[in-house]
Amino acid sequence: MAMRAHTSPMARRCMIGAAVVALTAATGCGGGDSGDDAAADASCKPSSGKVTLQYWSWVPGMQEAVDLWNGQNPDVQVKLKTTPAGNAGTYQNMSNALKADKAPDLGQIEYDSLASFRLKGGLRDIAQCPGVSEAQEKFVDWTRSQVDFGAGGEDGIWAVPQDTGPMAMFYRKDVFDKLGIEAPTTWEEYAAAAREVKQDGKYITHFSQTDPNWFTGLLWQNQATMFERDGDAWKVTVDRPESRQVADYWQKLIDDELVATDLQGFSPALYKAWNSGEVVTWVSAAWGYSTIRDNAKSTEGKWAVAPMPQWDAGDQRAGNWGGSTTAVLSGTEHPAEAAEFALWLNTDPEALEILNREGGLYPAAKAGLDLPALKQPVDFYGKQKIFDVFAQASADVDTDFTWGPTMTDTYRFLSDGTAGAVGGEGTLGDVLKQTQSQSVDSLRKQSLDVAD
Amino acid sequence: MSFLTRTEGAHAAAPGRRPAAGRLSVAAAVAFMTLAACYMLLPVYWLLVSATKSQSDLVSTPGLLPAEWHLGDNLTALFEQQDGVFGRWLLNSLLYAGVGAAIATFLAAAAGYALAKYTFTGREALFSVILGGVLVPATALALPLFLLFAEVDATNTFWSVFLPSVVSPFGVYLSRIFAAASVPDEVVEAARMDGAGELRIFCGIALRMMSPALVTVFLFQFVVIWNNFLLPLVMLQDDTLYPVTLGLFTWQSQTSRLPELQTLTIVGALVSVVPIVLTFLMLQRYWRAGLTAGAVKS
Amino acid sequence: MTSTAAPPSTRRRRPRRALAPYAFLAPFLIPFVLFTLVPVGYAFWQSLHKTERVGGTFGSTRPVFAGFEQYADVVREPFFADSVIRVGLFALVQIPVMLLFALALALLLDSAVARLKRFFRLVYFVPYGIPGVVAALMWAFLYDPRLSPVVDLFRSAGVQVDLLGSDAILFSIGNVVTWTYTGYNMLILYAALQAVPSDIGEAARVDGAGNWTIALRIKLPLIRPALVLTGVFSIIGTFQLFTEPQVFRSISTSVTSTYTPNLAAYSLASGDNYSEAAALSVLLAAVTFLLSFAFLHFTSRRQG
Repeated sequence: MAMRAHTSPMARRCMIGAAVVALTAATGCGGGDSGDDAAADASCKPSSGKVTLQYWSWVPGMQEAVDLWNGQNPDVQVKLKTTPAGNAGTYQNMSNALKADKAPDLGQIEYDSLASFRLKGGLRDIAQCPGVSEAQEKFVDWTRSQVDFGAGGEDGIWAVPQDTGPMAMFYRKDVFDKLGIEAPTTWEEYAAAAREVKQDGKYITHFSQTDPNWFTGLLWQNQATMFERDGDAWKVTVDRPESRQVADYWQKLIDDELVATDLQGFSPALYKAWNSGEVVTWVSAAWGYSTIRDNAKSTEGKWAVAPMPQWDAGDQRAGNWGGSTTAVLSGTEHPAEAAEFALWLNTDPEALEILNREGGLYPAAKAGLDLPALKQPVDFYGKQKIFDVFAQASADVDTDFTWGPTMTDTYRFLSDGTAGAVGGEGTLGDVLKQTQSQSVDSLRKQSLDVAD
Repeated sequence: MSFLTRTEGAHAAAPGRRPAAGRLSVAAAVAFMTLAACYMLLPVYWLLVSATKSQSDLVSTPGLLPAEWHLGDNLTALFEQQDGVFGRWLLNSLLYAGVGAAIATFLAAAAGYALAKYTFTGREALFSVILGGVLVPATALALPLFLLFAEVDATNTFWSVFLPSVVSPFGVYLSRIFAAASVPDEVVEAARMDGAGELRIFCGIALRMMSPALVTVFLFQFVVIWNNFLLPLVMLQDDTLYPVTLGLFTWQSQTSRLPELQTLTIVGALVSVVPIVLTFLMLQRYWRAGLTAGAVKS
Repeated sequence: MTSTAAPPSTRRRRPRRALAPYAFLAPFLIPFVLFTLVPVGYAFWQSLHKTERVGGTFGSTRPVFAGFEQYADVVREPFFADSVIRVGLFALVQIPVMLLFALALALLLDSAVARLKRFFRLVYFVPYGIPGVVAALMWAFLYDPRLSPVVDLFRSAGVQVDLLGSDAILFSIGNVVTWTYTGYNMLILYAALQAVPSDIGEAARVDGAGNWTIALRIKLPLIRPALVLTGVFSIIGTFQLFTEPQVFRSISTSVTSTYTPNLAAYSLASGDNYSEAAALSVLLAAVTFLLSFAFLHFTSRRQG
């Protein structure tokens, strides 16, 4: 009963207290927004004493690499958080964390999202950190221009390349042999093969609206960069002759019903179609080898890998699909140690071996391309040394391709548009046109200058 | 047809009247309920069958037919993945949902009781505001909540997911209706005459009378917290704090690179349904007819 | 709305009792204010601001007051009207179907045998307990033209169906929603039915009323408030439709990132356009409120 006597006044006080807290919180969290000038202090001095770094990544098996580092570096301990994949929520979490000053020291960020994080003031320039600029030549050329935003180091270095997705063509060698077709070397031959394969009741490939970044890989091959920087402004170049060429080509395949448009990327239905032999090629990234291997077991020994078909016979161009960096985020108090770890993680042979074995990463470090595992013949692919093809592709990726700062939106527009085009509303060319204007709007909404 | 006879026998209320028609309508009723059950269970059946398959059989064999039996292997793999993190996730979910729903139910019961049994200034206005809370989409709340917890340095903690889940405006709504209907005013007045305090009336009498309804509130809130995935996604980075849904989602999002996680996601989903079913079975006995006397009556 | 008048105060109220309701409410209200009202307030604050950038391409940003500019932007977006009308149509068809189904099951359960009752009650509730991520996987399988035994069944009957095509997709989504929430609504209705005193039914039966008559004429009016309740919450749920269309985006060409208002808000937020997302959420809440209110008004007026 004594308790009851106290309940009411206490509760009243609580309510008043809550209201006060609520009000202060409301005004408090209204204040600070993102974008403290991260570039202001670019100097990068090592910290003294023991350092603990927070690191977010979604690479399977990353913990093993981190354990290795922690064992060798008692003074710089890394704590790993395994997160969902970037676009599955981690990027949004990272943005929120940056807003709230709760971001980790290091984070996994894909190439196409680097610009957007730099735009938010989320990245730390590590050009001045010990060893970083010297290490640049250890990475495949095109990845360097991604992390220095194409300025060759004049404009800072904003991340350490981790893995890449140079593209090539996986194809059912047995089916091609049976039909007496060579592996197509040009897109024209690819379309011809598509017609022959169709006569045999099969599809050359699937065309999915859920993989807009696959499509941008194709644009990349044709040097159809989607964004350019023009001084202080951005230029949207989604709709341009090179991208139109790609779009019109695939539109033709769609119109002629030579590609399966009802199969989405990474779907059980697609895997079934691979197993049954209904779909016979996949132009995909290096990491795709395990996707086929693990989901189309019944076709073991029947696949092979050839370079991406070319737009002009005799060319050697490849696109890139996916791949990540290890970025040092702007809130860190230990940029030097963070950069040191990021460099080690992505250049140390032992670390590279772990990430390749456990996480299936195709390394961005040149030395990584010589890993024993990447020199072996692969049983599933009829004992072909498939990674030689990807190593070549990696060297053939155009270095001038630039991602915009609002790729999430641009991908969304591409994806929505493609869904419409596949469903019969308009063409892929129209999609480029819409994506162009929608992307311009998107940039403006972020109050960025857009050059015409 | 003993099935049907038994059914009819239980219908003591209709002794012998129009036996043929009665039997027919009972048969129709059971048939309808069985059909509905098949509809509800078809996807679950797929889940069950898929959980017994190996990764390669998952895509290469017909979905509704069992293939080679791999349930044991899959379960072992599930609980061994990442040093047994799945067990941890289950435990977390039980804590978030079990304790969270219990507290939410108690708070909602008290609030609903107050709204139903007292007159005070601003009662209807307050009730409207509480109901308004149901109108706000969870997607709109997640980010502000994150910033709020960041202010007090409490993101990525157990509390950041637990505390927001003890709020159930829907529970208050139900509790108000149930309190109004199942706690007679005369009982409250009589207790007051006997000199019982307000708290004692609530704890000793009202709560017990409302208990069948509160079981419903608890169950709903339990499932809501169990399935909530947006808030933990925004709040948590430490995967040892994840509830099971977020953990499964994390695995699912990695399947394009690591296909064997697909099997684990499916087996994990099956295992994660078990606690919900158990909770339901445990609570079931509180729903005996008559206990909800007068509930939701106008 | 259902409410019961408080006990008539026969005596002069003691001050302690006057404070009692606040004491009972406080434990709920404190977290409610902190974890619901404050975030809502923040979202509203955010919807009145927009981002301004200082210092060039990669310069910093700060929020500036923009009044209702974001609202004007949202309303002008072509997807706004489309998505609201879409969920509106969806609500008109799906909610009555689902509630009728739930009501039928609840009435049957209420009159069925005890042993089976427990089994069916559990079975009907199970879908609600399955996490959205997993439900998505299951339905993706059952709808996929290449994998689905259901589609095969149609095909063998000579009917060509494309459950993921633009004509059928809204129904396919409706089916998933119905599957998930029928059991949930059934439980609410069932609890209400359980509360109907059994002697009412008995009396009618003695008067010669059949099962149907008892169900429709006697029980149904008695559980009307519960029906209204499920109706209101279904309206709210429909306008917040998110998980199902989000999942269908990856398997159907007919669902875009702005298919429902809530999905559009999520898409805007993931593109860092928080202000417009907030404005859309506030508008959505307002529309839902108006519709729920209209529904309540309509049903209570008919009740006389």
